[in-house]
Amino acid sequence: MIIVREFDYKPGEHEADKASGSYIMSLVALVAGLPFPIINLIATFAFYLANRKDTYFVRWHCTQALLSQFSLLLMNSYGFWWTISIIFSSEQITNHYIAYIITIIVFNLTEFIATIYTAIKTGKGQHVSWWLYGDVTNLICKP
Amino acid sequence: MEKVIIRLAIIVALFFATYTALKQINWVTLFNIEKITSSTEEKLGELFWDVINLQEKEITDINIVIPIDSLISKICKANNIDVEQIKLHIVDKNEINAFALPGKHLVLYSDLIMSTENEEELCGVISHEIAHMEKDHVTKKLVKEIGLSVLISSTVGNSSPEILSNAIRLLSSTAYDRNMEKEADIDAVDYMLNANINPLPFAEFLRRSYGDDTIIDEQLSWVSTHPESAVRADYIIEYSKGKTISSAPILYKDTWDQLKMDLEDFQ
Repeated sequence: MIIVREFDYKPGEHEADKASGSYIMSLVALVAGLPFPIINLIATFAFYLANRKDTYFVRWHCTQALLSQFSLLLMNSYGFWWTISIIFSSEQITNHYIAYIITIIVFNLTEFIATIYTAIKTGKGQHVSWWLYGDVTNLICKP
Repeated sequence: MEKVIIRLAIIVALFFATYTALKQINWVTLFNIEKITSSTEEKLGELFWDVINLQEKEITDINIVIPIDSLISKICKANNIDVEQIKLHIVDKNEINAFALPGKHLVLYSDLIMSTENEEELCGVISHEIAHMEKDHVTKKLVKEIGLSVLISSTVGNSSPEILSNAIRLLSSTAYDRNMEKEADIDAVDYMLNANINPLPFAEFLRRSYGDDTIIDEQLSWVSTHPESAVRADYIIEYSKGKTISSAPILYKDTWDQLKMDLEDFQ
């Protein structure tokens, strides 16, 4: 699911810090933005915009961090509005709702752990490519 | 690109597989949510009915109760609804009204029964209220308007008389939201069709009652508080179109006539 591989070149310490920062930004925003799922996407996007003209290594990791937030945004938004409708309308707690919430917790937790791992590895200058997200990043982000 | 699409499909499939697998578990029972809801409903129903019973006069004459019970049984049996759970109360009141209370209490006012011209019309109203019970609209409405915590505290004796009166007024004299009303109407038509009852007289009842100038507004709670009765009649007719309507009487004509006479005598 997560592959640590050699990058095209050896990134400098400054680049490694910035790349790692993109993941840390999404983590901090995720915690700070709960339960509003859009917050972490906006924060990661802001970080991406700030670094989109940086070196290839930094851009690549900012893009991967941003992409990972999109899938979370979709599933978390649905869960968020479902919860709101239960609180403020006549919707009731059902097996489907609880199953959905557990599913998104599992996926969020997986991504949370993967993000921490990637932030540490990229901070050391290692290149971490995620399953699917890494492939999409390769298509979008060119040297 | 192909690799990305395949991987994306795998992730999406993994998400839905997890969700589908988790859906199989009865979380509501596991977390005790349903148990709380149904016992709370039972208590609330008893509480509300006790208040109504103190203020109104219930008709317990078996010559009146049994024929109506037969109609309810027919509808319930044809639709796999547990008839034992439905508690019928016929109240002597000069108001065309019927409503459901939590805990499956069905309250029918004598004037509503008198205003129906045949058993199909009455079955329509009964089916509509049963649909509200089956779809849990009663509790949903109470939770939305009054709040879960207030309702739960009511069941343990921490409720003011105003809250109880408000809740009863809410259930007896105001309609559910438009979607719930439509859902109950459509389900009522299905219940009636399954029970070999023609739903068209139900539509006719709505249209007739709404346009009847001889009935004053205060007497017309069930029709006037429900949204656009003419529109409801239209979509009931529209929904019934193309469906096989086989009509088999439940009560003998004499029994129906006798029921009306007994009610009239009672009033």
